[in-house]
Amino acid sequence: MDKVTNVRNISVIAHVDHGKSTLTDSLVQKAGIISAAKAGDARFMDTRKDEQERGITIKSTAISLYAGFDDEDVKEIKQKTEGNDFLINLIDSPGHVDFSSEVTAALRVTDGALVVVDCVEGVCVQTETVLRQALQERIKPVVIINKVDRALLELQVTKEDLYQSFSRTVESVNVIISTYSEKTLGDAQVFPERGTVAFGSGLHGWAFTVRQFAIRYSKKFGVDRAKMAERLWGDSFFNPKTKKWTNKDKDADGKPLERAFNMFVLDPIFRLFTSIMNFKKDEIPTLLEKLEINLKADEKELEGKALLKVVMRKFLPAADAMLEMIVIHLPSPVTAQAYRAETLYEGPSDDEHCQAIRNCDPKADLMLYVSKMVPTSDKGRFYAFGRVFAGTVKSGQKVRIQGPNYQVGKKEDLFLKSIQRTVLMMGRSVEQIDDCPAGNIVGLVGIDQFLLKSGTITTSETAHNLKVMKFSVSPVVQVAVEVKNANDLPKLVEGLKRLSKSDPCVLTSINESGEHIVAATGELHLEICLNDLQNDHAGIPLKISPPVVSYRETVTAESSMVALSKSPNKHNRIYVKAQPLDEEVSLDIEAGVVDARDDFKARARILADKHGWDVTDARKIWCFGPDGNGPNVVVDQTKAVQYLNEIKDSVVAAFQWATKEGPIFGENVRSVRINILDVTLHADAIHRGGGQIIPTMRRVTYASMLLAEPAIQEPVFLVEIQCPENAIGGIYSVLNRKRGQVISEEQRPGTPLFTVKAYLPVNESFGFSGELRQSTGGQAFPQLIFDHWAVMGGDPTDPTSKPGAIVRAKRERTGQKPDVPGYEEYYDKL
Amino acid sequence: MSASEAHAPVLSTHQDESTFTYAKVKKGEVSRKLPVLQGEEYLDVVKSYYSVNELAKFLAQKDDSGNRKYRRVTLQFPDSLICDSAAIVTELQKQLGLDVDATNPELKPEIEQASSVCCQNDGSLNYCSKSESNGSSCCTLRTTKNPDSAERQRLWILADTSYSSCCVDEVAAEHVKSDFVVHFGDACLNPVSSLPTAYVFGMPQIDTQLLVSAFKERYPLADYCNSVIVLMADAPHTHHLQGLKDELTEYKIVVADLVAGENMHFLGYTPTLDKVSLNTLNRVFVGVELGDDSVLAEYDLFHITTPDAPRLLQLSTKFQSVSTCRDGFVSQGPFPNLMRRYRYMHMARAAGTVGILVNTLSLSNTKTLIQKIGERIKAAGKRHYVFVVGKPNVAKLANFDAVDLWCVLGCDHQGIILDEYNEYFKPIVTPYELLLAIGDEFQWTGKWVTEFEKVLEDMRIEEEENKPEEKQETDAQESDEEPEFDPVTGRYVSSARPLRRLQHLQISHEAEGNDQEEPQAGGALVKKLGGTVILRDTVSTAAVHLQNREWKGLGSDWTDQDSTEAALVEEGTSGIARGYQFDNEDAFKNQT
Repeated sequence: MDKVTNVRNISVIAHVDHGKSTLTDSLVQKAGIISAAKAGDARFMDTRKDEQERGITIKSTAISLYAGFDDEDVKEIKQKTEGNDFLINLIDSPGHVDFSSEVTAALRVTDGALVVVDCVEGVCVQTETVLRQALQERIKPVVIINKVDRALLELQVTKEDLYQSFSRTVESVNVIISTYSEKTLGDAQVFPERGTVAFGSGLHGWAFTVRQFAIRYSKKFGVDRAKMAERLWGDSFFNPKTKKWTNKDKDADGKPLERAFNMFVLDPIFRLFTSIMNFKKDEIPTLLEKLEINLKADEKELEGKALLKVVMRKFLPAADAMLEMIVIHLPSPVTAQAYRAETLYEGPSDDEHCQAIRNCDPKADLMLYVSKMVPTSDKGRFYAFGRVFAGTVKSGQKVRIQGPNYQVGKKEDLFLKSIQRTVLMMGRSVEQIDDCPAGNIVGLVGIDQFLLKSGTITTSETAHNLKVMKFSVSPVVQVAVEVKNANDLPKLVEGLKRLSKSDPCVLTSINESGEHIVAATGELHLEICLNDLQNDHAGIPLKISPPVVSYRETVTAESSMVALSKSPNKHNRIYVKAQPLDEEVSLDIEAGVVDARDDFKARARILADKHGWDVTDARKIWCFGPDGNGPNVVVDQTKAVQYLNEIKDSVVAAFQWATKEGPIFGENVRSVRINILDVTLHADAIHRGGGQIIPTMRRVTYASMLLAEPAIQEPVFLVEIQCPENAIGGIYSVLNRKRGQVISEEQRPGTPLFTVKAYLPVNESFGFSGELRQSTGGQAFPQLIFDHWAVMGGDPTDPTSKPGAIVRAKRERTGQKPDVPGYEEYYDKL
Repeated sequence: MSASEAHAPVLSTHQDESTFTYAKVKKGEVSRKLPVLQGEEYLDVVKSYYSVNELAKFLAQKDDSGNRKYRRVTLQFPDSLICDSAAIVTELQKQLGLDVDATNPELKPEIEQASSVCCQNDGSLNYCSKSESNGSSCCTLRTTKNPDSAERQRLWILADTSYSSCCVDEVAAEHVKSDFVVHFGDACLNPVSSLPTAYVFGMPQIDTQLLVSAFKERYPLADYCNSVIVLMADAPHTHHLQGLKDELTEYKIVVADLVAGENMHFLGYTPTLDKVSLNTLNRVFVGVELGDDSVLAEYDLFHITTPDAPRLLQLSTKFQSVSTCRDGFVSQGPFPNLMRRYRYMHMARAAGTVGILVNTLSLSNTKTLIQKIGERIKAAGKRHYVFVVGKPNVAKLANFDAVDLWCVLGCDHQGIILDEYNEYFKPIVTPYELLLAIGDEFQWTGKWVTEFEKVLEDMRIEEEENKPEEKQETDAQESDEEPEFDPVTGRYVSSARPLRRLQHLQISHEAEGNDQEEPQAGGALVKKLGGTVILRDTVSTAAVHLQNREWKGLGSDWTDQDSTEAALVEEGTSGIARGYQFDNEDAFKNQT
């Protein structure tokens, strides 16, 4: 652990059901933690009961593994290393789209990613999402193509077909990588011949890389390992007659040649499969001998699949292939932090803390990012799980705990506390350690009560925060929970607090009518959260309302005239116009590309260069809202107004208020830009105080929005459905009924499977899976992931339109007047 | 701004005096309760409506020495009834044998100039100062029945009540050292601290048959023959209840009758004095057994007239169902929502600075409650400030943006601000809600208590229970107070208990102390003030707030790049903002 160059922090990421946890089992088994027989179905990393039952991963789980390498292999590592021993901190993450936030939290603390792709299903929506996230965090990927056994046993493909399928998958992964990868990460694409792609079967516990075979053959052919590896992939053919390598698929006589990959790599595997599965008992021993596989006496008795499993596991152990990829090709913390530092740190990239992160310096001031909270066996307490980026964390050390709103020099969100203990996370258990140097993943005891979900821990007073994680998913599905007995309310609140802690993405709140709201990313996520809340965190029976969607208020045009509001004393006037913000700008604000906390000049540059804003306007953004960082802005376009600085705080406060509760039905406002055109202020300070300005700015914001063709936005899911051809009709009919909009339908080459992609309003998605199953005879399973906000057609102020009905229902429920007020309510005549 | 030549600030928009003409006061339409009549006919109506004869008889009482028992009588009118005040006073004078001193030349103009700061009557030192904040007017009618000044009885009219017109305005009465208040119109009947009071509710007429039919429509006999229905009304309409009950003999009816407290007299209405029935909500529930008021939760309430929002909220928490009947129309809601208060209660938990907004001065126990709440807030580690702003409104409260939460002390009829339409910048809670919130563990009882006595009693009980634990808490902790989870936003709030974070703030305080040794450059005052949060050994959340502001006062946006030339000090405007000197001069110019 102290030799940081020999540490690898990796996360295992993939689409749901592509076999992450199963593959991880192989690694855990290699380290001797579970028995070989169980590997493949133990799902060691699924620590929760419901995870085991449902067979899906819900929470990401970390484990530290040791691996030894021989000198030959170590030589191939192109970064600095010491000795032959390696420590691998591995995080198994959930694949279901609803839990993408767990993946984000895992990626933050790791440097490399093992991307698992199903050989039959190929690259799916979640593969793309997690890969994109990894690349944005500057995480280097390696790929393992899993479930090759399925291709062999179920689909009975030929060698060439299998090769084609492999190369297509690799290609589509590389397309994603080249789209999202940044220059600083270097070439992140994966190539089988370089050893960054493996093929295997997690269930059977075997896997191989081209490199492994290259080593076997390099002696035989007397070629260098690397050269051999290159020959074993792609358009490279071996002519057995002439014993020559060629890149043409025909020999001199025009006879077809077999591809080197098929001949040298797939052939032994295919032969093993056919002989064992066809029970050709006489062939097997010779084959085994040739491949240098020794079976124990009792193993020789096995037959069929069981024998195949044992043989393949001995022939090509999955753990070896994966470890090889991880250790040789994924960066050590030292290597990775050099290029990750500036994306991790909020402060200036040339200050000492950023330098320390860049150098992964264990002697510098502590810089630790807590990415999530892991429940302990002690109810209500959590381990703060995170990564040491600089310095060394010790038990008993006194540290500064900086919450997400901390700013250097301010007292808000800052706590001083001693760390009670530091631990290593080992799946279900923990192991206590004394200290932990930079570059490692660690669990901390005794600071959980100061952080809700994540935060920065440091020993320096001048350190800025490490950047807060941005999630690709958004909690758009919500329910109201109620206790059955009013005396249980404190328990519910405590439970909600614990729930908020234990999940990186779930949001809890109280709405205007005093109901407790739990918001999650999807139906499954919500179900898991509510289960946890009921059975674990709160431990009381709850009444749960049907799920509802959260909406946003926006405008679709510029205000038809200048909105004016006068202050209560009539001595101050604010003139503004509202206009829609480009969707790209809103997305950049939400993704943190354009951040309220950035330097205003840098921010203006991005807005001007990327989004075509006027530079003066871009520099004069007064604030973002709601919560100081939302996708709405106030732009000061006034000219030479006396005392304007004085009212800025009041305007900012009012704008936060107005965008938090919009004029239409009290929902958050999104994508609105308010331009302050002119302000008239009373010459006397007391008459232009907060009391006069705050209500006025709020009114004028409302008036300008109501003058700018207001609309409401609803969240939309991207749905991906894989199904056989005969189910497509059923899918279309369900989608049509639910206002769905199909965007693509393609057949996956080499398989009978079709992939349908569609947009589906979240509001219509409740019960979608069930209906889909019904109308397709259980052949179609959708994956729903939040994609974007879409403006709902129709006038929200007209109760007969669809949005109008939604607006009215909400207004009535919360005790507002049923009709949306006209702009006159907030507009003052001159 | 260039400092080389002195000139008046330029405002971006052209402003002439029309920009700053006095804001027009919105004309509130006050509909007269009584028909517009002339002469004697009008007087008769007034006399019967306000029971003037009875009032005159009451005021004519004499004490043991043969003098009038009450010598300085104030007549308090709500805005809606002020129109009848003159007639009532004239009539009273006639009946009490007091007549207006015809030689008093100032009397008439004074009544017209209701907002004059003070008024003085002829040489008899009858001096009345008017509190500027509430603009209450009081006119004295010096009367002489007997030339002997010791026996003079005097009447004043109190209008534009300071806080809520349903309560007795003790402060205004105090200005004229009044020894007796006659309160006209609807009243909350909440106990006042000291003054003896008579209430004249007036006798509004109502169509009983219309009420009966509305009642029967709301409560079909078949469904409600076994349930108890409570009849309640505001104070002026209460005299109809008995009659209504007699019409509805087939139902089980309980009448909520008025109840007079200590020092209270009702004129024109005699309540059934019933000491054995349940007495709560300033009403006596005739026929309901004395005891806990939780029995009301099984009853349905039929309320004649629609009460004010706070009262309505309180009623809806007490009864099984509430129906209000106004002009024959029965309404069953929507009523103010108690769960909204639940949300505010949680906001109170997360608030660091609490503003105690005093919206009454006459209710008994106000001072004790202010003091007690202050103690509790402090014990909870929060900062509090006490505010008296006259009649609160959105603009006044928004001026204090350092305050996270308001706690309003006021009458439960009109004095509590419920903010149903979300107009106020910061949430407003009642003392009871605040107390529920600021304990170490929050509680929620589903009740809504507004009576000051009950709140104080709850506090006392709680204090007794908690006493033994207090000492354990004083253990000095090495680390900081944990942040508070705010369920409203779902976030951690680190500023919920600013006073408890003194320890770690003190560290920085000391560090700042060291800085002081180095002499600082110009602008030290501003910088110093901007940097410190400890004022007089306690955390000032206002100072913290100032730190977070972008604009911190004059000169804070001054940078070295600006011109360094000094400007001459100029004479600014003088006078008060309502009308500066130049405004008056301009007005004078325009006239001439």
